[in-house]
Amino acid sequence: MRGALVAAAGMAVPGSLRAQAAAAPLMGRPALVPMRLSPDQLIDLKCCIRPLRAAGPNLGTEMVREKLVIHNYGHGGSGWSLSWGSAEVAVGKALSVLPDRIAVVGCGIIGLTSAVVAQRAGLQVTIYARDPIQRTRSFRASGSFTPGSRIALAGPAGAQFPDQWEQMARFSWKMFRTMLGLPGDPVAFGESYALSDNPIERRTSSADPAITASYETTGLPHQNAEFAHLDSRIRDIVPQSTPLAPEENPFGTPYAQRSSQMYFNFPAYTHLLMSEFLARGGRYEMRNFHSPADFGDLPERVIVHATGFAARDLWQDHTVIPVRGQTGWLVPQPGVTYSIRSNNMSALSKADGIVIMNNNPDMGDMLGVGDSMELANRAPVEEAMASLSRFFIPPAERSAT
Amino acid sequence: MMGRKPLGWALAALVLAAASPAISRGSSDGIYTPAQADQGARVYAMKCAMCHGAALEGTVETPGLVGKFVANWAGRPVGNLFSYLGRAMPQNAPGSLTPEENAQVIAFILRANGAPEGNRLLPADGAALERLSLDAVQPAI
Repeated sequence: MRGALVAAAGMAVPGSLRAQAAAAPLMGRPALVPMRLSPDQLIDLKCCIRPLRAAGPNLGTEMVREKLVIHNYGHGGSGWSLSWGSAEVAVGKALSVLPDRIAVVGCGIIGLTSAVVAQRAGLQVTIYARDPIQRTRSFRASGSFTPGSRIALAGPAGAQFPDQWEQMARFSWKMFRTMLGLPGDPVAFGESYALSDNPIERRTSSADPAITASYETTGLPHQNAEFAHLDSRIRDIVPQSTPLAPEENPFGTPYAQRSSQMYFNFPAYTHLLMSEFLARGGRYEMRNFHSPADFGDLPERVIVHATGFAARDLWQDHTVIPVRGQTGWLVPQPGVTYSIRSNNMSALSKADGIVIMNNNPDMGDMLGVGDSMELANRAPVEEAMASLSRFFIPPAERSAT
Repeated sequence: MMGRKPLGWALAALVLAAASPAISRGSSDGIYTPAQADQGARVYAMKCAMCHGAALEGTVETPGLVGKFVANWAGRPVGNLFSYLGRAMPQNAPGSLTPEENAQVIAFILRANGAPEGNRLLPADGAALERLSLDAVQPAI
């Protein structure tokens, strides 16, 4: 017997897999429901721009007329993951001037979380935003705990940033723990399998001396080594990958690793946050801002500014660098509770669908840098689905990809 | 606190009004020509429609340019919109519209939102557009 993939009721699977279903899974080799990665399952494509800010998120303050503006934007690919810790910093600055109410501009995950954190501290909050969170770039993320993803460039971020990042990441992690097991699973853990025909090695990002251009000379990073890589600072709490012995590997690949991946179910998560915001008396007002001067027109004298990538134009902050990313979404497959990845193609099962990503492994952090085209491209998603689908046929029948 | 002093707000508004260039006319006065809007339709089809939609309807992700669009921009100088399009749009190639194309696209969008045509070209000039207001659509009864 190879593998321990089992057939879900009513699912069309090859005969060999049906045969396996009858056998009890071995200890250590979990029984997994196969993913259906056929093109007919693809129901949505999402594309968005991550707001990579060279120096890391802007958490600074400034005055606009008589208003105190506290920035909370520019979280790269780490907005969800750092949201609670970053909101704690921003709201702490707001509280220090003793307001009884504040405004939050922007209703992505950073804005909405900032609003709820401020309410939990006893403040009245109004969110001013062009769109509710379901229509923001936050909702077009992939939604895994990735607190170090394109969060800053190491040089511009400076020597103090890693400590602040670690503080925000640890704070957020504990807050996510308070959301585990709630109805709808706003935050959940799943098993994540890395599969390969070759030994799996951790990629390093040592500087390439042949690349002389850099952020300092062009305003854009030119190689992965320019990015801050901070995840190892919290490896004591975040599950790391462990190699799987053949008898533990449900997929029958020559090499495999398994880790536990925290992820966010957007519909349940945003419903929960928005419900708390409204239950605490929060007010949401549709409003478009055209320049920082518009902030002076708000009735609140303390304003948290959380407009993400839009801050590049609104605040004329050209240190915010667009980093394009896209995901494909399959029909939810509730029996599938794990994710797989191979050669930087991945399929992650969530409540609102299986997320497909196809990230060129040779590009690393540089993939999408400087690209603000926000239309999705279907072909790479279908390529990833076709490639990953080989793991759901018996190993002997696979062709290497 | 400032927010509790209506008089302070009124004074601030007066000061601001005095500092702003005088608004001479608005988009309900016929501030673009039909030919200009037609040219704008061609520019829009090439550079804008792929995100904002052939009928300016937008998507869940991309703002539509009719209806709610008016709520976002009404009461401001057309120059604000001209400036924004000139520096931030199209999102994948910001700054690539010529001033003439920019004015043409605005004429096209104004027409799509019910603003009447006129005899004079919408100027491709930010300073001149600061003196024209983008008016709310009059409800058709």
